[in-house]
Amino acid sequence: MNVRAPDTPGARRPSVSRAPRRPWSGLAGAPAAVVLMVLAGVVAEVGAAAAWWAPDVLPAPSDLLPAAARIAGSPRFWQDALRTGAELLLSCVFGVVAGLGLGVAFWKAPGAGRVFEPYLVSFYAVPLVLFYPIAIVLIGINQWSVVVLASIMTAIPMTLNTWTGLRAIPPVYLRLAASIGCSRSQTLFRVALPAAAPYVVAGLRLGVAYALIGTVAMEFTTAQAGLGYQVRYLYESFDAVGMYAYILVIVAVSVLLTAVLEIAERLLPRGRDT
Amino acid sequence: MSSPGTGVVLDDVRVEFRSSGRDGPVVAVDGITQEIPAGGFVSVVGPSGCGKSTLLSVIAGLRAATSGSVRINGRTVTGPDRDVGVMFQEDSVLPWKNVTDNVRFPLQIARVPRAGRPRLGPGHRPGRAAARRRIAQRAQEAIDLVGLGGFERRYPAELSGGMRQRVALARTLAMRPSVLLMDEPFAALDQQTRLLLGAEVRRIWGETHQTVLFVTHDISEAILLSQQVWVMSYRPGTILDVVDVDLPADRDASVVSTPRFNALHNRIWERLRTEAMRGFAQENRFPA
Repeated sequence: MNVRAPDTPGARRPSVSRAPRRPWSGLAGAPAAVVLMVLAGVVAEVGAAAAWWAPDVLPAPSDLLPAAARIAGSPRFWQDALRTGAELLLSCVFGVVAGLGLGVAFWKAPGAGRVFEPYLVSFYAVPLVLFYPIAIVLIGINQWSVVVLASIMTAIPMTLNTWTGLRAIPPVYLRLAASIGCSRSQTLFRVALPAAAPYVVAGLRLGVAYALIGTVAMEFTTAQAGLGYQVRYLYESFDAVGMYAYILVIVAVSVLLTAVLEIAERLLPRGRDT
Repeated sequence: MSSPGTGVVLDDVRVEFRSSGRDGPVVAVDGITQEIPAGGFVSVVGPSGCGKSTLLSVIAGLRAATSGSVRINGRTVTGPDRDVGVMFQEDSVLPWKNVTDNVRFPLQIARVPRAGRPRLGPGHRPGRAAARRRIAQRAQEAIDLVGLGGFERRYPAELSGGMRQRVALARTLAMRPSVLLMDEPFAALDQQTRLLLGAEVRRIWGETHQTVLFVTHDISEAILLSQQVWVMSYRPGTILDVVDVDLPADRDASVVSTPRFNALHNRIWERLRTEAMRGFAQENRFPA
């Protein structure tokens, strides 16, 4: 047992000083990232100008950026972006709600949880994109087949993380809730889910990433519109500049999503370090 | 000062657990009949695994007795009661709430009736602001009572184990329960902190006159704090001895050197020693 100074109010425990948690501190690396991107751009520009590679393989940024700007001004781009954005949003909402619900249900009914756990875990390893043809047969070639599959991809990590988080709550929190007379919903929403929040948020980050992967990949394979579809279309019509411009947009969207989630996570109530 | 029927009355309380082994049900508590008068301070000491925490759970309404009954202030216990405050051994301070919000939490829960309250226009109900002020005031009183003034905005991760148990104590006291059940609340703390917090509990009890049942495995702590000590046997748990602590009411930690304290300590230890050895032998599968 470690020796500690007598515990009187006013005597502070000699604790390891914790870095202040600010929502934006993760962006401290932003200047470094900018430098890296500029560097990569310079290498790409020099390489293209010196013909180290064919311009179709990797177009020079001086060609790419004007093309990207032109595309950003076209109504077609906004149609595609809107469609992909809507699919992404719907998948996230459906997947997160379903995942939370299933996670809570498995926690409440551990028997059901034990039955389904192996399938959920093995679904992690299954490229669900494979089921896209089935979804098309069942639903048709429209955005709903994309939304349904991407929702499932989002729901799996959400379910597993919510369930794991709930199972990891110290049992004394639930006894406390019972002793102060919490109703079932108060126990769930005011004690259990907040206690599981770190896991739930980790599941949310995974789920959103999966939703983006699923949406773009399925648009890429069969859909008739969307950013993923445009990448494939431009690829098949040998428009390397246009294709790279769309890829840039998709990468930007994913970076933006990650940053937003990171900030949201830091805004969570603090004090979970123990 | 207690009228009959008030305080805590245990009537032949028996608790069995279904065990996974083939030895049949384990009897954790075997027919305990005792009484704590209103405003009394009773400690329960016993070897580990003797069912003292189980007994406390039954009194708290967190677990049903297999047979027998518990009456608190004349009412039979059927479930958790807001008039009964429980303090746990484990760290039960919610890490996502600061000190004030932790202490306010049960008050906020208590304000909302179990069936859900009627929703008429958010934030415009008369009495809502007043209720919030009342909660804030009661929480602050409890925080000051346990000596946590100045730490209101701190989060549990920033506090020591002893401070966190002070938060748990304040949270329990804020409900102003007439009965306080404490399940080895300081067992995880170091010796100095235990002594200090024990003295605090006794001081607070002197101010609030609650009925207290304090579970511990520390004989000195039990004698120092309480008016009466129940010595509990190893499984099946029964009360072997009831020892009245006839030490001065304004005692402090220095009484441990008095002959009377030693006599009490020896009497309890004599009772416990055979039980502790029996428990040790059974848990370790040695021939008893």
